[in-house]
Amino acid sequence: MSVTLKALLKSPWVFHLATGSCNNCDIEILDCLTPRFDIERFGMKLAGSIRHADVLLVTGSCNRKSMVRVKSIYEQQVPKPCVVVAVGECSMSRGMFVHSYNCPMPLDKYIPVDVYIPGCPPKPEAIIAGVVKLIEKLKGTP
Amino acid sequence: MTRAAVLRDFQDRFREDILDFFDKSPKRAYFEINPDALVPAATYIFRDLGARFHIASGVDARTHLEILYHFSIETMNLLISLRVKLDRENPKVDSLANVIKGANWIEREIHELLGIDFPGHPELRRLLLADEWPEGVYPLRQDYQEWDKKAVRDRGV
Repeated sequence: MSVTLKALLKSPWVFHLATGSCNNCDIEILDCLTPRFDIERFGMKLAGSIRHADVLLVTGSCNRKSMVRVKSIYEQQVPKPCVVVAVGECSMSRGMFVHSYNCPMPLDKYIPVDVYIPGCPPKPEAIIAGVVKLIEKLKGTP
Repeated sequence: MTRAAVLRDFQDRFREDILDFFDKSPKRAYFEINPDALVPAATYIFRDLGARFHIASGVDARTHLEILYHFSIETMNLLISLRVKLDRENPKVDSLANVIKGANWIEREIHELLGIDFPGHPELRRLLLADEWPEGVYPLRQDYQEWDKKAVRDRGV
């Protein structure tokens, strides 16, 4: 395991990126930070800036205007290696917006996605389980 | 003035231009108005009656396009909606943005989503749609067709 990957997995800093969601997924992500769920015990921390992030939590229905920004964030601004987690039904298949004129493609057609967390909105337990699975997969321990 | 007096006074002033009047409930009244008389009627409601302009809503009703301008007079708990019906081929109605500042953005939005022209608008730029969106395609029209060849319309399962 490379040093950068080891450092990333020790304490992944999460950046929360909303691409036009109804904010329910965003509220559930914020719930993960509350003392009840407390993702900081896994070393995860919500990063204030995209430049500090190791994990991108993407929520929302990927509309035309926001995906230009998401692409530029992924390609130019996030320090690599970076893992992308699609949270919620909207960022996976666009949910009820699948026929919307403003949401032409799902998130994984724009940027590579590592983990999908289904649900509308997913429970905080599901989000934590998804990110923990991702960390275990990257470590190579099942 | 009471509610009945306000409505009667409005009807007397714009007698020729009011095509229809629907008194829905004590809180709501609808006036269908000639598009040419929209600006004086809205100006009268806004300035003289002291109403608040809430929003305008555009609808594609298949046979025609229509815009509803919603005003409220809070002292008498009354919501007045002015309805203009517009021709589908060349939809056009004078802009209210010079009289009511708050009408500026909603007219830009109706212009790009429904393709209604607002002569006299200070700057009829795009508001919400993406830059790559083609000219002359209006997504909220009933006859809107998918134009993006890359769009994926299934869930991938």
